[in-house]
Amino acid sequence: MSMFTEKMKMLTAVVMDSDRDAVVKALLAKGVMEFVRMDFLPADKMARLSSHSSSVPRAVLTDMRIRIETLLREASIQLPDLDSMDIGDLPPLDMEGNRRLLDRIGGSLQTVRNRQKELNQKINEISELIRYQSEGKTEYLDLRVGHVTHSTPAELQGRLEPIGGIFLFSSEPCISLTLRRDSQRVSEAMDRFGWTESTDVEEQKSAMDEAIGKARAEKAGLEAKLSELSQAAAGKIAERSSELIAMWVNVRVHELCEHVESRFSYTKNTTLFSGWVPADSEEDVTRTIYDTTKGRCIIEWTDAADLPREEVPVMMTSPKILSPFRRMVDNYSTPEYGSINPTPFTAVAYLAMFALMFADLGQGFVLLLAGIIGTIYYKRNPLRKDGIISRYLCNLLLYLGPASMVGGILFGSCFGLPLFPALWFEYEAVVAGTATEGLITSIYDILGITIRFGIIIIYLGLLLNWVNLVRKRRFFELVFDKNGLMGGLIYTLGIWFAFGFVASGYRTFPSAPWFAPLLIAALAVLFLKGPVGYIIARRRGTAEGGIGHLAVDTIMDFVVQVLEIFSGFLSNTLSFMRVAGLGIAHASLMSAFYQMAEMPGSMAAYIAIAAIGNVLVIVLEGLSAGIQSLRLNYYEFFTKYFTGKGIAFEPVSFRSRISAD
Amino acid sequence: MGRVSDYAFINAKLRARIGIMRSESAIDEMIKAPTLSEAIAKLDGTRFARLAEVYRATGDLQQVELALVDDEIASYREVASYLEERSRGYITMLLEKVEIDNLKNALRIWYSAAIRGHQINSRAPYIEKRLIVHPIDYDRIVNASSFQDIVHALSATPYAGIAREFADRDLGVTGLFPLEIALDHLWFGQLEAAAEALAKEDRKIAEAIFSVDVDLKNILFLIRYRFYYSLGPEEMKDVILPYGTIGREAARMGSLPADEMMARMKGIVSRRYPAIMEEIDDIRGMSDDLTSQDENAMQILRIENYLAATREKEYSRLLLGNPFSIGVVLAYFFIRRQQDGLVQAVLSAKYYNWEEGKIREALHI
Repeated sequence: MSMFTEKMKMLTAVVMDSDRDAVVKALLAKGVMEFVRMDFLPADKMARLSSHSSSVPRAVLTDMRIRIETLLREASIQLPDLDSMDIGDLPPLDMEGNRRLLDRIGGSLQTVRNRQKELNQKINEISELIRYQSEGKTEYLDLRVGHVTHSTPAELQGRLEPIGGIFLFSSEPCISLTLRRDSQRVSEAMDRFGWTESTDVEEQKSAMDEAIGKARAEKAGLEAKLSELSQAAAGKIAERSSELIAMWVNVRVHELCEHVESRFSYTKNTTLFSGWVPADSEEDVTRTIYDTTKGRCIIEWTDAADLPREEVPVMMTSPKILSPFRRMVDNYSTPEYGSINPTPFTAVAYLAMFALMFADLGQGFVLLLAGIIGTIYYKRNPLRKDGIISRYLCNLLLYLGPASMVGGILFGSCFGLPLFPALWFEYEAVVAGTATEGLITSIYDILGITIRFGIIIIYLGLLLNWVNLVRKRRFFELVFDKNGLMGGLIYTLGIWFAFGFVASGYRTFPSAPWFAPLLIAALAVLFLKGPVGYIIARRRGTAEGGIGHLAVDTIMDFVVQVLEIFSGFLSNTLSFMRVAGLGIAHASLMSAFYQMAEMPGSMAAYIAIAAIGNVLVIVLEGLSAGIQSLRLNYYEFFTKYFTGKGIAFEPVSFRSRISAD
Repeated sequence: MGRVSDYAFINAKLRARIGIMRSESAIDEMIKAPTLSEAIAKLDGTRFARLAEVYRATGDLQQVELALVDDEIASYREVASYLEERSRGYITMLLEKVEIDNLKNALRIWYSAAIRGHQINSRAPYIEKRLIVHPIDYDRIVNASSFQDIVHALSATPYAGIAREFADRDLGVTGLFPLEIALDHLWFGQLEAAAEALAKEDRKIAEAIFSVDVDLKNILFLIRYRFYYSLGPEEMKDVILPYGTIGREAARMGSLPADEMMARMKGIVSRRYPAIMEEIDDIRGMSDDLTSQDENAMQILRIENYLAATREKEYSRLLLGNPFSIGVVLAYFFIRRQQDGLVQAVLSAKYYNWEEGKIREALHI
């Protein structure tokens, strides 16, 4: 892991046209290059190059890939890992052939669905008969018991079946159960076959039960068939899975090559391309291109320092163990090229904040357990879509659980109970007002701790910002910016002043001979920001406006900057009181639940209420602490040093999720 | 409770859902899919995922449509449960529209069997038979041997009056159209009345959107029935909803000869919605003669799509207004119904093997 963003280099290469495909595939296999268009060449040189023209547009390839993926997903077939495949010798892309195969599979899938539809409609028709009988709505049913005098019962059944109903015509008397709304059609058919209604009362009585019995049996049979067909649909795709996977690999590789080659430029016999590569992959990429082209290439490397910083893509490397925190950073933005990698600092700050807000050994263990179970579940079901407790959350819980457990050990809390002596102080006892010994005995002491914690975080943010500014050689901002040295100095004076006032019991303001001169000096430097900036701009020839304009700008800038420093740092620091707030709420809620648990006076009720209380606190407080920790990181910590002006490095590889432009 | 506490939760919830609905690209992918099965597979991972499951289990598009109605009913009930009583009443009235549409379907099935003599066994099971708002005996409707049975089936509902009114008419001659229009009129009237029970700000929002909605509906009626189905001016008087700017004007002009009333109504549309009138004229390729008989279906479709887009704009504006009001709820249901309708339309088009271009043209996508 690097503490800073990775060093980048720009590759520009010329290869023979005949080597192009092999080079592209080799670079895709490496997956370390972000290809860019060669816009940096002068216009007259660019005019001599031709741009990429494709035989199959990438959008068409993408559509076909999506179509294959849709079919594979229907049969729960996982996509292969291109990294582990030999993609050197792929067959030529036969789009028409592929389309025909997909149409055939799609057609046979549709045939199965159509058959399912027929069965489902039949099930619905029979269900209607069964429902009317079970709901006592027999007035909608038409039950007939009798004998066929012309032709055979089987022939009559053949006529009646299209109308719909249940027909027991294999033995005498024949039974027909249809819907009354179809009675006219039924009568017409029966009349033709000389139907005579039975006058046997017993036969009439038992006929309904027999007919409904048969209806239920028929429905069960149809449902079984329907379920089989549902499986068969997936089977139709599974039968062709090897062809589909081979087709997907071919289409996907072509799609990626198209994506990459669309950035290339061409002469009659050569291909020119360019892209960003991490500096430590320089040798590897050079060797790959040399080996693939057998030396028939020209390679040039340009250092990122020779190009505008804002054009250089940013790559951060963090160990896998920090991946949940890397995602928090990515969600916020991308740091500038050459600045500090925020991931490790985020991990430490986030976990510390969470541990202070949700300190409980038992509840932390539950979080850890949930994280472990969830992770195992998702590993066993890789195709499973994320639920409310997503893969990411499960992964994060593996860290939050132990953090909470450490907090619990420090504060002597297990499921909200003081089951063991605290390593630091007893949080619950302090909140309950029963703590008398030690340094921390009141809620104000807890608030003081979290404010000190906040001050450390803010200083850390400022320090990281100063390091970034020095590395970026932005010395003007280092001195004059509100998050620069002067901002830091004023913040330090403010802290000294505030702590002195608190130490006096809120009675007197502290005084020191150095305080006023330092504050005035810092403000004076801030006031000079405008004039100094103007002088620098004039030297560079970029200054705008006259002296009057400068004077107004300087005064306005100064006022706004001072207000921002005073109100901004104050609110940033006080914002950390929420850490205490959440921790106190956690302890109070647990105490309230245990008091409620004691009220009924029975052990069973005590256990039930205590368990429900713990579950509620774990879910609600856990969520709350997680969100607040993120908020503190984003708004109080990141804003001090993380400009978010960078552009993310997006190398193209076989794992890339690129789609049509 | 205050307005903020009334609407804070539901506003956040529905805005999040609207955001997700708007970001989904499933409909576009469905249109591109070459077969119905592949189109339905695109619904995986969206709020319509249950429809894909239903289709895989049954292969039956009608079953899928029934599941869509089930989901719609559940969504009205869910949102209503988060609202205070007055707003809940209004949402229940919106749900009544789903019930009326379901009732119309049941009546059409009955009509098909009783009047046209068609077999309905493959259609009758796909009526939503569970209670939506009022206790309607759908079994009795689809099995009715006479219209009197339908009157009985609706006896415990607000639709009983209309049913009784139509009991003596010969539906074989008039068709179901007048009955369906009467049900629409009833619903719009009840919706207007329900708005009066809302809190002041909600009432203003509901009335404003109702007025535009009903105006656009009346314009649609004018285009569709007067100029496409060539309904006579007298019949049109029964069709026009007596609400909103257009409807109220029409009601005031009740004593005028029908032809003159139609001409004046065109004037009202031109004044109140000049952009719509211009667009309609543009689509119809003429300057001011709305009485031409040579309309074709595609022209009507384009006008309908234009009116739908205008309606969409009106509802989208609600999202820019006060977040702690019924506006976001109305916008949510509009967007949801619109998306449901699109999904349903694309699936039907795929069922009939329509080409991508034809679907896009028809749906104006």
